[in-house]
Amino acid sequence: MTSQTIIDPPEDGHFRNGQASNGSAPSPTTLSIHLTINGRDHALDIEPRVTLLDALRERLHLTGTKKGCDHGQCGACTVHVDGERVLACLTLAAQVEGRSITTIEGLADEDGTLHAVQAAFLEQDAFQCGYCTPGQIMSAVACIREGHAGSDEEIREYMAGNLCRCGAYPHIVAAVRQAAEGLRS
Amino acid sequence: MTAHDMKHAGSDSARLEAVGGRLSRVDGPAKITGAARYAFEQQLEGLTHAVLVGTTIAAGKVTGIDTRAAETAPGVLAVLTPDTIMELNSASDWFGRQPSEETYCPLVREVTFSGQHIAAVVAETLEQAVAAAALVKVGYDETPAIVDLSDGSDGIPVDAMTKEWGDAEAAFAEAPVRVCASYNTPREFQAAMEPHGLIARWEGDELTIWEPSQWLDGMARTYAEWFGVPFENVRLVSPYIGGGFGSKALALAHSAVAAAAAKMLGRPVKLVLNRPQNFTSYGGRAATRQTVAIGADKAGRIQSIVHRGVNETAVDGMWVEPLGSVTSIMYATPNFSSKQNVVRVNTVVPGAKRAPGENPSAFGIECAIDELAYELGIDPLEMRLINYAEQDPHAKKAWSTRQLREAFAAGAEAFGWARRSREPRSMRDGHQLIGWGVAAGTYPVRRAYGEAVVKLLADGSVEVESSSIDMGQGTYTILAQTAAETLGVPVEKVSVRLGDSHFARAGVTGGSRLAGVMTGAVYKAAGQALDELIGLALSDPRSPFHGLQANTLQVKGGRIAAPRGDGPEFSIAELMSTLGREKIEAKGDTVPASFTPEQRYNNYTTIAMALPHTEGEHSRHSWCAHFVEVRVDEDFGTVRVSRVVSALDSGRLYNPKLAESQWKGGIVMGIGQALLEEGIVDRRHGRIVNGNLADYMLPTNADIPDIQTISVGIPDPHSSALGGKGVGELGIVGVAPAIANAVFHATGKRVRDLPITLEKLI
Repeated sequence: MTSQTIIDPPEDGHFRNGQASNGSAPSPTTLSIHLTINGRDHALDIEPRVTLLDALRERLHLTGTKKGCDHGQCGACTVHVDGERVLACLTLAAQVEGRSITTIEGLADEDGTLHAVQAAFLEQDAFQCGYCTPGQIMSAVACIREGHAGSDEEIREYMAGNLCRCGAYPHIVAAVRQAAEGLRS
Repeated sequence: MTAHDMKHAGSDSARLEAVGGRLSRVDGPAKITGAARYAFEQQLEGLTHAVLVGTTIAAGKVTGIDTRAAETAPGVLAVLTPDTIMELNSASDWFGRQPSEETYCPLVREVTFSGQHIAAVVAETLEQAVAAAALVKVGYDETPAIVDLSDGSDGIPVDAMTKEWGDAEAAFAEAPVRVCASYNTPREFQAAMEPHGLIARWEGDELTIWEPSQWLDGMARTYAEWFGVPFENVRLVSPYIGGGFGSKALALAHSAVAAAAAKMLGRPVKLVLNRPQNFTSYGGRAATRQTVAIGADKAGRIQSIVHRGVNETAVDGMWVEPLGSVTSIMYATPNFSSKQNVVRVNTVVPGAKRAPGENPSAFGIECAIDELAYELGIDPLEMRLINYAEQDPHAKKAWSTRQLREAFAAGAEAFGWARRSREPRSMRDGHQLIGWGVAAGTYPVRRAYGEAVVKLLADGSVEVESSSIDMGQGTYTILAQTAAETLGVPVEKVSVRLGDSHFARAGVTGGSRLAGVMTGAVYKAAGQALDELIGLALSDPRSPFHGLQANTLQVKGGRIAAPRGDGPEFSIAELMSTLGREKIEAKGDTVPASFTPEQRYNNYTTIAMALPHTEGEHSRHSWCAHFVEVRVDEDFGTVRVSRVVSALDSGRLYNPKLAESQWKGGIVMGIGQALLEEGIVDRRHGRIVNGNLADYMLPTNADIPDIQTISVGIPDPHSSALGGKGVGELGIVGVAPAIANAVFHATGKRVRDLPITLEKLI
C-alpha cells in the first residue's frame, strides 16, 4: 500500500513513546485523530504507536477485524483503505487519518443484504472456525476488484496471503469464483 | 463435485434441514459479517491488559528479575513475578487425579524450557503493557538443555503402550520377505488462527472467564481448584472458538496468570498470547521416531509386524503420543509387537494435535506397507486388500462397521488408480515427475455421556442449550437440525446456545466425539419435550385435543395434529397459548441412571469416564483411503500436491456439507504436515526459532489443489445414537504417508523424515 506519513519518525526510526533511550521516566504522547470507518467518523485520542488493528479492536470495539499474528503474516486483519487491501496490524492508526477505511462490518448493505462475496462464502461453506474469514472476505472483494479472479489458479495465488488453518481453501476458491462470476454478470 | 453434492443437488428445504441435510451453517451469517464476538473480544468496563515475559534459556535457574523500570513505566498497574503473584492451589489433571504438590505458581524460578512464563506486566493499555514488559530484566544461571530427541537416552518405557500377540520377533526373522525402516515426524504445532488468550473478571468470589475453549467444564474445574472456590462459582464463556485442533482443551499457565492478576488488581484482565508465545505456552505434537519391521510370505501376506516408537515429552510433564494405535489394527497379522518409550527434553509439555497418536502411527505403518508392496512387486492398493483385517486384530472383536474396502474401491475409481504404472519415475509431464500414492487412515470412535436442555417457548420457537462448543465443526448447525427434526419444527425456529459453562454440562470437545454425544443428548431432550407437549395436549382439559380418541399426536412443520389428520390442527404457539404455558423445558441426558452426582461431575470435568471404543462386542473406528498425485520438479526437488481424492467412512453424516469441510481441512493440514511443517529448535538455547506464521510454514491457498471427498459410511448403531462416527480427526490420518508414497512413485526416493523438503530429494 501507499501511505501518507503524518508523524515524523525519530532519527533512529524507532518510536519509543517519548521515552529517553536511557529508560527513565517516559512521557506518552497522545494524538487526536479522526478515522473514517465504514462511512462514519470516529474521533480518537491515542498514542502514535497504536496500530489500526488495535484501534479498531480495542478502542472502537469493531472486533470483526481479527488479530492472528500481529506481524503481517496471516492476513486475518485485512481491511480496505481507499478500496485497497491493507494489513491493519502493520498500519498505524495515525497513518490512515483522512482515508476511507472499510472493515468487514461495513461490507454488507445498510439493510443487511450481504455482499456477493459474503453470500458465496456462506453457500460454499468457505470457512469453519470463522476467525480468518473477515480477512479472507476483505481480500476476496479486493482480489475480484483487482481483476485477479480470472481462474482458479489466479484466485489461489492472489488469496495466498490469507492463511486458513481450518483448511477451507478449496471452498474459498469456489466462493471467490462464484462471487466473481456473479459480480461480472 | 462430490457424491453428496450430486445426490442432494435437487433437494428441497425440508431435506436440507433434516439430520443428514446440507444446511449451511447457522452461525455462518455472524461469522461473515464480523458480528460473531469471540471469547476475548468482549468489552468490559475497566479492562486492563497483561503481557507475559518468557525465559530466553531452556534450562537453569532464574537468579533475579529486575522490575523497577517496568513498574515505573506509564500506565503500569502491576508487575507479577514468582515472588509477587498470589499463591494458587494445585489442580487435578484431566483424568481427575489429585496433584502431588499442594501449591501452584504459574510463573517459574526453575526453568525447564525456553519461553516459559516468568513475569507478567499489567497496564491500562495493551501498548503500555507490551512496552513495559520489554523493560523487565532477567538474570539466569543457565545449564545445558536437552533440545531434541537425538540428545536423549533411549528414554523411559511406557508399558501401558505395549501390544503383543504371537511371537513377532521370531516370525519376522523367519519371514521370506522383510522390510524394516525408521520413520520420523518433527515437532508440529496446531497454529489455530485465533491465538490463545482470555479475559478474567472477579466479582466477589465469582470468576467469569471469557476464553476460547474446547472444554468449558473441564477448564472451569481447573480454575475452581486453583482458586479454591466452588465449581459453580466459575463461569466460562466461549461462544465461538477460532480453531483449536486439540490445543484449547485445558486451562494453562497463562490462564492462571490472568485470573490471578484480575483477583489481585480487582479489575478485569485481558491476556492474549502473542504469536511466538503460541509456540511455547502449550504443546504441539511431539516429535516422534518409529521403526516398523514387516515380515511377509511371498504372496504378500503379513506374518509379523515389529514396531518400536519414541516420542519426546517434557522434563516436568508427561505426554504419550500413542504410536502403535494404527499399527496394531490396520492389517491382519498372526504375530505383532509394539512398544513405546518417551524421552524427556526441555520443551513445554507436548499436547494434542489433530489425531494425536493415529496421525504419526499411520505415517509409519502406511509407508512401511508401501515399501513391502514394492519389495514384492505387488500394487500398493492390492497389498492392502491382501492384508485386509476382517476383525480388530488386537481386540479380536468384530468391527462395528468398516467401510474401508468400499473406500479403497470408490477412491480408486474416482482417482483412476487402474491407469497407474507401477514403476517409480515412470510417469512424467515435461520436467515434472508424477507420482501416485495411496494410504489408509483410521480414528477410534470416542464416546461419552452427554446432556442438553431443550425448551419449547410460547411463540413456538425452540432453544437448545449446552456447554459444548463450536470451533468450526458445525455444532450449532447439527444440533439445530437434530432438534428441528425430532420436534417437527422448521430449523429457523430453533436457536442453539453453546459455549457457556452455566448451560447443561458437556465433556471435552476432542477426539471427534462431540457430534455423536451431543446429537444423542439433544435427540433425547427434544424427545422428552415433545412427549410432554403431546401429553399435555391430550390430557389438559383446555386443550383442543382433549378427549380425542388418539394415543399420540403428530408435529410437523411446527403444527400439531392427530396422526390421521382427521382432527383439529394448531401451531405449537397456539397450543401453548391455549394451555397457558410459557415454556416446556426438558433436560435430557444419556448418563446411566445409576451414576452418582460425583460420577456425573467427573463425566463432564475429566476424561476418565469416556467409554472404550472396544467396549462390549465391537471395535468402533472411522476409516478412510487417500489417493494423492504429486508433481516433483526433477531439477529442483520441489513437491506439489496436484490432486487428492479421499473416500471416508464416518458412518452417517449429520450434515454432509459441513463434514466435507472438516475432512478437507484435515487433508489440507496433512499436506502441510507432509511438505511444510516443522518446529526448528536452536541447539544453543533450545528455542523454537520459527515460532511465527511466516517461518513455521502452514499451507496457503496456493499450495492446495482441488480435493474430492467421497462418503462411503453407513449408519453405525454401535457408535452413536444417530449412527455417526468421528469426522474431524479422521481426514488428516494417512495423508502424509499417501504423499510420501506418491513422492517415492514419482522419484524413486523414500523420504522417511517429515516434512518432505527439496533438500531431501536432490
